[in-house]
Amino acid sequence: MNSNIGQFKALLIKEYKEAFRDKRALMVALMMAFMAPIMIMVMSKVVIEKAVDKPPVYIKFTGAEYAPKLMAHLKKENLLDFADIPEKDKAIWDERNIVINIPESYSQDMADGKTIKVHLQADFNDKAVSPPVRRINNAIRDFSLSIGYKRLLLRGVDIRLLNPVKLVEQDTSMPDATFIMISMMMGLYMIMAAFMSGLSVAIDSSAGERERNVLEMLLCQPVSTLKIVLAKLCGASTIAVIGVALVLVLSSISVGFVDLTKIGATFSLGFTKGLTLFLLLLPICFFASACQLFLAFQAKSFKEAQSTVSMVIAIPAFVPFVLMMMDDRPQWLDWVPIAGQSLIMEDVFKGVEVNWLAILATSGVTIAITAGLVAILTQKLKSEKVVMALS
Amino acid sequence: MIEVNNLHKSFKDKKNTVKALDGLSFTAKDGEITGILGPNGAGKTTCLRTLYGLLSADEGFATIDGIKVTEEPLKARARLGIFPDKFGLYERLTAYEQIDYFASIHGLTGDNKKQAIEQVIKDLELEELAHRKMVGFSQGQRMKVTLAQALVHQPKNFVLDEPTRGLDVMSTRILRKHLAKFKEKGHCILFSSHVMQEVAALCDRVIIVANGKLAAQGTPQELCELAGETQLEEAFVKLIGSDEGVAA
Repeated sequence: MNSNIGQFKALLIKEYKEAFRDKRALMVALMMAFMAPIMIMVMSKVVIEKAVDKPPVYIKFTGAEYAPKLMAHLKKENLLDFADIPEKDKAIWDERNIVINIPESYSQDMADGKTIKVHLQADFNDKAVSPPVRRINNAIRDFSLSIGYKRLLLRGVDIRLLNPVKLVEQDTSMPDATFIMISMMMGLYMIMAAFMSGLSVAIDSSAGERERNVLEMLLCQPVSTLKIVLAKLCGASTIAVIGVALVLVLSSISVGFVDLTKIGATFSLGFTKGLTLFLLLLPICFFASACQLFLAFQAKSFKEAQSTVSMVIAIPAFVPFVLMMMDDRPQWLDWVPIAGQSLIMEDVFKGVEVNWLAILATSGVTIAITAGLVAILTQKLKSEKVVMALS
Repeated sequence: MIEVNNLHKSFKDKKNTVKALDGLSFTAKDGEITGILGPNGAGKTTCLRTLYGLLSADEGFATIDGIKVTEEPLKARARLGIFPDKFGLYERLTAYEQIDYFASIHGLTGDNKKQAIEQVIKDLELEELAHRKMVGFSQGQRMKVTLAQALVHQPKNFVLDEPTRGLDVMSTRILRKHLAKFKEKGHCILFSSHVMQEVAALCDRVIIVANGKLAAQGTPQELCELAGETQLEEAFVKLIGSDEGVAA
């Protein structure tokens, strides 16, 4: 028993030594982690800009000179005069042909307190025109109301009397979609980190060792193939675990710097959430390394191993996308590795109470499949085919 | 003691079948150095791989100190020190670490292990290389490390597949001295080589393998007499070339 443990310890220490001395493999593992904050920053920036951005609208004004204050107000809302349009946008806005007519009597009517009719002409059926028209509408209404309120205030009327009922609108569609996007990307990134980080170590310790002729020597030694496989699995998945842990830590730090409240989404990655995610991803790390070892041991050369294993990486990347497309998710998806985890991750990001039973179930299935892969691999290493492929 | 008994092994693929071993039998006794000679493709490596338990024979069996390799491969391998045909090093480890690794696999621990490693490093004159990473080692240096890792647990039986290729004269002499010393202590040594002088100088008994069968066996002297030649090389060529009267 003691010598068994000693043997395994020696195998494991050797795997660690090789893994940590392989600077290239470590670079890959850490690269995923260090890219995480950058990815989060860039992604959020893009998303926020898209959500809150008001692109310029160019309007053909007539009689702009009669209403300088109105013009200033519109300009503040990024509703600009067609006269100032840059050359490249000219054709588009000329075609959209949004026209506002301000009457000559504008300032006089304003002074007299009469209603001023400002005419807006555009093709209201044109889809491209309707968002600018809506914005113009709002801008002019705001302007008009603010003047109206001031008039009332001057006459000693509380403007709140004008609004006995106020509708508070909260647009849930936009932030929610954005939020799902962000959480999906984060989940995807974390699963990818689990797969990417241990990748080169897994290939190097299997197909690499075979190519360097050290595997044959090891197989001739009085050590069970199960121990060999387990040591290699531990070696590769340790790197994967380190990679995932770094991604989580760096993400939670960088999320703090991003202000998602601008788009109405709150996104935090605190200690508990981080820990839950880590526990969730832990079996994935082992599963990923087992898959990689499994494929790499079967490959005929280091190069072949690299290409097959890289292809397999595409699978975890696909799963969350497919899940998002599916409206009606069958129950069994909760159990499948990667799919189950990414569904739970969605809940974690949403801040919904996490179903620990589901975590246990999907982790259990993932670990069981991993164990199955290890068992098959243990048998395979005993078979002649693998030995024959050595020479 | 290593015994090989009526080994048969063929490799099949879709098109053709190669018969690598065709009823090979021999015995390598304790306290003797037994040499395996054979032309390329004679089945030497297949035979040795069967001995390590990497391949399973279609027929026949191999035993190491009476332990059947197919039945208890781990127990049998524990009694073997192997210097394989193709060997590699863990290039990111130092020589010391590699020897340590194999010593641990063979169940050595603590002070015993340390002593054994230091002894083998001293014996093979590896002191200067011991704490260097093995990337960039010359062929001879690699051979020495591989030898050290095969010898570190002082196995009862050695199997060496062409151990002197790439070694310089000094190292070859060290190896020979070592093998002679182990022989004296009663270890069983089985080694394959293509260098006739070496086989003639070192081996107590020679086994000549051709076409997966035993072509002849005996002391180098006996083989020469059998073939009617004075040089082992000539005898070897004659014995594998025509097996009249000697294949029995």
